Amino acid sequence: MYLPSGVFHETYAASHAWWQTGFVRAKMALLLVFVVMLPQYANLYVVSVANITLYTILSALGVQLLIGYCGQITLGHAAFLAVGAYTTAMGVLFWGLPYPLAAVLGCLLAGLWSVLFGLPSARIKGFYQIMTTMAAQFITVDFIITRYVSRVGGREHYFSLPPGTITIAGWPVDGEVKVYYLALALTLLSLVGLGNLLRTRVGRAWIAIRDNDIAAEAMGVNVVYYKLLAFFAAGVLAGVAGAVWIPNLFFVSPEHFQLSWGLWLVGVILIGGLGSLHGVVFGAIFVTGILELLKFAVIPLSDIFPALTERFLYVKEAAFGLAIVLFLLYEPRGLAYRWQQVKNYFNLWPFAY
Amino acid sequence: MKRLALGVLALALALPALAGTVWAQEVRLGSLNDLTGPTSDVGKDAALGIREAVQYVNDTGGINGKRIRLFLYDYGYRVPEAITTYKRFRDFDKVVGVLGWGTGDTEALAPTVGKDRIPYLSHSFSAKLTDPKTTPYNFFYGTDYSTNARAAMTAWHDEVWMKDSRFAEARGKGEKPRIVMFYMFASPYASAPIKALKDHAALMGFEVGPDQDVSLTALDTKSQVLAAKAFRPHLAWHGNTTMSVAATVKDAQALGLGADHIVNNWGFDENLIRLAGPAAEGVMGIAVVAFYGQSAPLMDKVVEYGKKLNPGVPLEARVIRAVQGWAQVLMMAEGMRRADRAGKLNGPGLKEAFETLRGWTPGLALQPVTVTATDHRPGSVVPIYRIKGGKFESVKNVDLKARWPRQWEGEFFGY
Repeated sequence: MYLPSGVFHETYAASHAWWQTGFVRAKMALLLVFVVMLPQYANLYVVSVANITLYTILSALGVQLLIGYCGQITLGHAAFLAVGAYTTAMGVLFWGLPYPLAAVLGCLLAGLWSVLFGLPSARIKGFYQIMTTMAAQFITVDFIITRYVSRVGGREHYFSLPPGTITIAGWPVDGEVKVYYLALALTLLSLVGLGNLLRTRVGRAWIAIRDNDIAAEAMGVNVVYYKLLAFFAAGVLAGVAGAVWIPNLFFVSPEHFQLSWGLWLVGVILIGGLGSLHGVVFGAIFVTGILELLKFAVIPLSDIFPALTERFLYVKEAAFGLAIVLFLLYEPRGLAYRWQQVKNYFNLWPFAY
Repeated sequence: MKRLALGVLALALALPALAGTVWAQEVRLGSLNDLTGPTSDVGKDAALGIREAVQYVNDTGGINGKRIRLFLYDYGYRVPEAITTYKRFRDFDKVVGVLGWGTGDTEALAPTVGKDRIPYLSHSFSAKLTDPKTTPYNFFYGTDYSTNARAAMTAWHDEVWMKDSRFAEARGKGEKPRIVMFYMFASPYASAPIKALKDHAALMGFEVGPDQDVSLTALDTKSQVLAAKAFRPHLAWHGNTTMSVAATVKDAQALGLGADHIVNNWGFDENLIRLAGPAAEGVMGIAVVAFYGQSAPLMDKVVEYGKKLNPGVPLEARVIRAVQGWAQVLMMAEGMRRADRAGKLNGPGLKEAFETLRGWTPGLALQPVTVTATDHRPGSVVPIYRIKGGKFESVKNVDLKARWPRQWEGEFFGY
């Protein structure tokens, strides 16, 4: 790890600290001020884009944990988001629970549901595991939720929550700014929590399993237990994301949790960088931001070239695929690695290394 | 390579600044469309129609002299992108109203547009959006899906079941007509009218068979058709879009389902004839406007602007969806004109303006639109067509309000 000369640690706590120098702490404090103050100087459109970014971060965290840290490939993560979102919505709508309690219930249920579909990982891996995670998607969203859960209460195919039903300790969560603070708090909590978890025995066991499961088992890691624990943690994180989704729209439908969203999340961590929490954040900002930047380019131009919006916009879909291919070819370690390089450059300047 | 990438990025960021022409008097209008997602089969032509119709409105005086500036954007049927695009329209482009697309984005955004007080005129006609008490800012130009479904069932009952000699024997034995429904359970669009259709089946004395789940992207529906065949239906309802309806109708013919077909409006267009061929003969369906090029007031303009603005798309390939795009834009323009005359060209003003529409129609065989502050259903008259000799012929216009005045105000309302 990089440390400027003249910095010494005298305790284990200090040498394990997240941020080790005053300069870094000041930087992080500035960043915190920046994100907390964002709604003060940005308009609501920017805040809503930030909300979608935070939702993407929360959704992709579980994918990163499973793929990037534990080596368990998952394409069905949207299913666990759906479990979290539906449990939260139903808790508020039908069981009269306060929103935080419903959200906690959603997280737990999503975690357990994820463990259920993690069970086959005890015996299979690789492509076969991809199949079981896709099965999670089809069984959960396309079968159970669409056919049975969505029809609870005669609402046919979606749940729409009346305004004012989502409150935290009497404080109604409505509008972009409040959702932003809720999502921000939960994202920071999840990031710090997961970051710390990865430095414990549990996290080291996950990384050992990712790097070589047989070697991990030989070292005494209970592979099945830790795999299932990873699925549980990823499911809980998906539940958090699902709970954040609800106040975003006050509306939930199976269409929000299609297989394509699970694939999108894998794209997020591939672009951001596998096995890196920074990568999740950078990837989410990248994929959400690119689509918005594209609007800034295309919408004003469509006054002059109207055909641009109707006949050229498929490039947007292609651009996302192209971005993944280019990242895999030229930047296989993702944006997080590039960020590290940039930091090193400034830290070491004027020397090359 | 890097320099090139930087250059492209810089160009992309600089171009909007160069291109942003400022108009003194303009009305801003957002439009969410699906050009790349699962409903793009019907979405592309609608988007072309919207662009053409806005040009037509601007060429003929705009909104009392103000030009409509259209912000049209594809969201690929991804709800998160629909949200950020809608909020961009709201906060950045500052639009007065939004032209919406599918049931997915329309229902998902309904609570939000109500809170933001931005009228949302959608291509989705889900009847749940017609009650202003719950969704005050949702409007549409065509009759809602539930009314459509009830009307199609009524038309088949009156014109075919009661008159056709094929069913004389069954009628004589006092049999009830049997109906089976093909639609995608997971699609809000396809499942929106099902409850209404089942209630109507009870009202008209139909027996309802087991529902069959057919995906919007289905190419093979044999297992569903065989499952339906066990019920020996006289009538099949198709609630999906054109591609999967064509697949079902073809399989029904191949496997001898022996039922007549009625189709919701997004499954009934020129492409159904092209895709299903002879199997489409005799299929009945709903069309809220005239088919492309069919004789109707203003259709000459639709064709003229189609040729002028999109010369690359041959006229034979154009379909009714473009005409629906025209109807959507023309209703929005009419609302804007009325709001402008009242001096309130903003969200709430536009809502009030829509609610003054009484029997308004722009031509294009759009049934007269009446919207009130307590009922956002645009009308009760549904034109039913039948495919005969590869062409559409009118069967009849069913007026639900005239036939069931009490139910129209009561249980027909709001779902």
